[in-house]
Amino acid sequence: MNNLIEELKQLIITSLDLEDVTPADIDPQAPLFGDGLGLDSIDALELGVAVQKKYHVKLDASSADTRQHFHSVANLAKFIESQRST
Amino acid sequence: MRNVIPTRPVAISEHGALDQTAFWRRVHGLRAALASQPAQRVALVCEDSGWFAAGMLALAQTGRICVVPQAPQAGSITASGAHVGAVLTDRPGEFTEFTTLAIGDAPPAGDATASLPDDDVCIECYTSGSSGMPKCVLKAFGQLRREVAALEQQWGEQLGDALVLGTIPHYHLYGTLVRVLWPLLAGRTFVTHTCVQAAELRRWAAQHRCVIVSSPAFLQRIAAPAELPPAAQVAAVFSSGAPLADPFAERLQRDWGHAPIEIYGSTETGGVAWRVWSGSAERPYWRLLPGVQTELREEPAGMRLWVKSGFTWQSGWMATGDLARRHDDGRLVLLGRADDVVKLEDKRVSLSEMRTRLMAHAWVENVRLLLLAGPRRSIGAVVILNAAGRRQLAANGKLPTSRELRNWLRRSYEPVLLPRKWRFPEALPDNDMGKIEHANLQQLFARRA
Repeated sequence: MNNLIEELKQLIITSLDLEDVTPADIDPQAPLFGDGLGLDSIDALELGVAVQKKYHVKLDASSADTRQHFHSVANLAKFIESQRST
Repeated sequence: MRNVIPTRPVAISEHGALDQTAFWRRVHGLRAALASQPAQRVALVCEDSGWFAAGMLALAQTGRICVVPQAPQAGSITASGAHVGAVLTDRPGEFTEFTTLAIGDAPPAGDATASLPDDDVCIECYTSGSSGMPKCVLKAFGQLRREVAALEQQWGEQLGDALVLGTIPHYHLYGTLVRVLWPLLAGRTFVTHTCVQAAELRRWAAQHRCVIVSSPAFLQRIAAPAELPPAAQVAAVFSSGAPLADPFAERLQRDWGHAPIEIYGSTETGGVAWRVWSGSAERPYWRLLPGVQTELREEPAGMRLWVKSGFTWQSGWMATGDLARRHDDGRLVLLGRADDVVKLEDKRVSLSEMRTRLMAHAWVENVRLLLLAGPRRSIGAVVILNAAGRRQLAANGKLPTSRELRNWLRRSYEPVLLPRKWRFPEALPDNDMGKIEHANLQQLFARRA
């Protein structure tokens, strides 16, 4: 799980071309959008694409859970883990 | 303008005066030397403005295209992509990869009759294009002559017989025109070298009443107006290349007694309008130069200013890069660059408005915003921090600093519009005209910082 969290941080930085942000700057519990890392709606789209491509998980756009899954790095890791085990 | 030979010297240097006879014999001598030179396109690179003027006239009179590179270096000729057959220069040692014509070697010849080039011959000059590549602009001699006539009509009387000095190089078209051709055609004397220090201005002004041709790059760096020559010795100060920041214009008027005459224009359009400090309420208004017509044409970003005059590069109406509106009395109000409004993720945002918001933050001294290309187009912010901001940056690093500024903007803007890349240099990269070049700003984002 910790490996996955580190991997996700790196994925966020590279796929969204975030400057000046290191993995250590991303708090796994902090919100990715809004106040925390400050990602925007286009970032959300791009991160969704990157996550699906890398982890072969399926995101249901209509799912109310998606927002929850993308709330933080920790949530995202949990979601990917749960998809892998099914 | 007069075709009789004026009595005043053409130019003056520390070594003495160059009188009319000697000047025109130089021109004729250069013409004779050019006769055996097959090159049609000749770059003109001179340190001495007197030789520069003689070279330009000789090239024009012999039907050559006079190419004036953006900077007086061999690399600038190559970079501009101007394919020149020869270089006419007073520094032949620096242009060894080209066929050079050493300007001082041509023996003076002929009589001293002042004959000006035909109106249709071309001067080829370069300006920094918006893409960052030098952009070639062709000027016919007649266009330059008509612009000089407009300047003389507007300010000739005020200048009288003042000596013309400049802090801007003569190879910028504004310098060529105002510092060299205007005095030459109007019979005033110009100083043959560019004054880079205020002390040089003071030295010349101690002996002559003078006109100072300058730019914000110089005027805004003068620590105190007392460094300038006494106001009584100065007939006028011209400033062009970029707008002069209000506090400087006001301070020069208040503490020195002279507000610079600012000229708005570009290499492509020539001079368009002018203003002089007369109180902050009057600041936005520009008066047209004699012979200039303007039109406003609607575009998605706003009303773009179009110009028509005898000195625009292309005949007919020419688009400027600026948005404008017309005041009731016909004066112009410039409303910023037309490319200031950018579209990001289908949303329109004004960079100057965002800049104003950022400037209101307690850490910020100055800002430039620009659109960055890439897989995702976004705004890049170049921020000059004030002392408080620099302390924050030193103590906490770049990310917390940019986050604070981003969050500050987030109160007014949707997240997708916020700058994604931030640079905190010590100073904005300006060129020797005091203009912040788009290309220099772009370069700050070429690599991670």
